[in-house]
Amino acid sequence: MKSGPRRALVTGGSAGLGAALVDWLLANGYEVVVLDRDRPWTGKTSVDFIRCDLASRTELDGVLPDLVSGGPYDLVFLNAGINATGKFEALDPRTHVEVLRVNTEAPMVIAAALFEAKACRAGAAMVFVASLSHFTGYPGAASYAASKDALAIYARSMRKYAASRGVSLTVAFPGPLKTDHAERYSPEGADGSKRMDPDRAASLILTDALAGKKTSIPGAGNRAFAVVGRMFPKPVTAMMRRLLYDRLKS
Amino acid sequence: MIGARSRRILITGGNAGLGLALAKKLARRHSLLLSGRKSQNEVAGTLPPGAGYVVADQSDPEKSALALVRGIRDFGWDGLDNAVLNAGIGIAAVDGVDSAEAIRQTLDVNLLAAILQARALFPLLKKSSGTLTLIGSVAHKGSATIPAYAASKAGLHGFARALRSEWKGQVAVQVLHPGPAKTDIHEKAGYDPGRMRALFLAPDDIAAMMASAIASRRSPATLSWVRYLNGGAFTGRRL
Ligand SMILES: NC(=O)c1ccc[n+]([C@@H]2O[C@H](COP(=O)([O-])OP(=O)(O)OC[C@H]3O[C@@H](n4cnc5c(N)ncnc54)[C@H](OP(=O)(O)O)[C@@H]3O)[C@@H](O)[C@H]2O)c1
Repeated sequence: MKSGPRRALVTGGSAGLGAALVDWLLANGYEVVVLDRDRPWTGKTSVDFIRCDLASRTELDGVLPDLVSGGPYDLVFLNAGINATGKFEALDPRTHVEVLRVNTEAPMVIAAALFEAKACRAGAAMVFVASLSHFTGYPGAASYAASKDALAIYARSMRKYAASRGVSLTVAFPGPLKTDHAERYSPEGADGSKRMDPDRAASLILTDALAGKKTSIPGAGNRAFAVVGRMFPKPVTAMMRRLLYDRLKS
Repeated sequence: MIGARSRRILITGGNAGLGLALAKKLARRHSLLLSGRKSQNEVAGTLPPGAGYVVADQSDPEKSALALVRGIRDFGWDGLDNAVLNAGIGIAAVDGVDSAEAIRQTLDVNLLAAILQARALFPLLKKSSGTLTLIGSVAHKGSATIPAYAASKAGLHGFARALRSEWKGQVAVQVLHPGPAKTDIHEKAGYDPGRMRALFLAPDDIAAMMASAIASRRSPATLSWVRYLNGGAFTGRRL
């Protein structure tokens, strides 16, 4: 069935979890298409790079044909995301707009375009990167929480359709990672040592995706936290408030 | 105290369906401002007497938030006891996949508009120690027929969960998830529920459950047959 090497698409592949995914894929013989605002900083020259700011509908519409023709893919990682922490009402409306555009709308539009164009091979896996906050609530990042929950449920809603095309959908719910992203948005004095190394998260998520699992929560601690959050949503959200919201400065 | 005094209540999408049914229920006891996409002329005669109306098209989320704030000021209100963010659309996915246009329209009208409206209404709600009510749907757990709609409602769910915690002690935040109701939303969505429609609740009964859930300020709350059969449309708190 398969002709040539396996191909993968990673959005937000220039840094953080995305870059870790790209490293793993390259090391495992994949040809990789990276979509990001900035070029990969690790000097990865062996990827096809598509520049696009996903907050812009016009830019995304402009590169959709390239994304499609970059396929057919065996693996798709809809990973690009931005956060905005702070008191909800104190953040600029534009910030909330961008969070929704980049985290929810863009991956949904890309997934739909790839499905319509049949740009995924039979047997392919598509991964939507949501957030552990799906299970815990996220006071101090209300629009971010909304954006990631919406994405997780879009993926769940599309699972049957995808399966009819031979594509498995995995929703990843990573907890805090040791990336620039997390560092920028976590409260001052937060304990960074508990955050997971992106390389480790990438390999755990990849393992789940390649096994066709519906969900991937990398790390036993995070999995336990998700279970507790599902059983006791209110106390867990209250705890998240103490950990995150009450430590915000603005 | 709740139920004892006249409240200033904003209902988005108040010119049709569930929003209008809720407005009709509350009009005698409370002061109402309704919003919608349609013009004043198009809705004249359908609104309950005394209710104000403001055009706020949510396909431009930022502008819709500004329009609501302006509408409230022009109506002479300096505070807000209740904001019921109810306006919403569904677009049935064609052959299982939502078009880019449908995804953007659904997320803008159902989710982003509500987020930006919540932010814009915060000072008015805070002043009155008010309640922000987001109208979700039982589809917030996922739906293969309307994936983008389900996503938008899941977004409202997660948003309410975070914001309820953030605004604790200032403004009560809740999300209500109605089950299927006999409004025009399905026809507008291009979806024919067929014989299933017989099982849909009457808008009036959902509206009654909405009113008592709003008075109770609890969140999240599912408003469907289970609650209905337990007397949800007739008992409970009064708004
Ligand atoms: N009916 C159900 O089975 C059901 C079930 C679960 C949840 N819900 C939710 O309940 C809410 C009300 O639904 P419904 O059944 O009453 O729907 P409906 O009868 O179709 O009424 C929708 C309302 O939303 C307004 N609206 C639509 N697009 C708008 C836009 N771009 N800008 C401003 N307003 C807009 C409409 O105003 P215009 O007429 O001016 O366009 C109308 O007032 C929605 O959020 C819906 O998702 C409904």
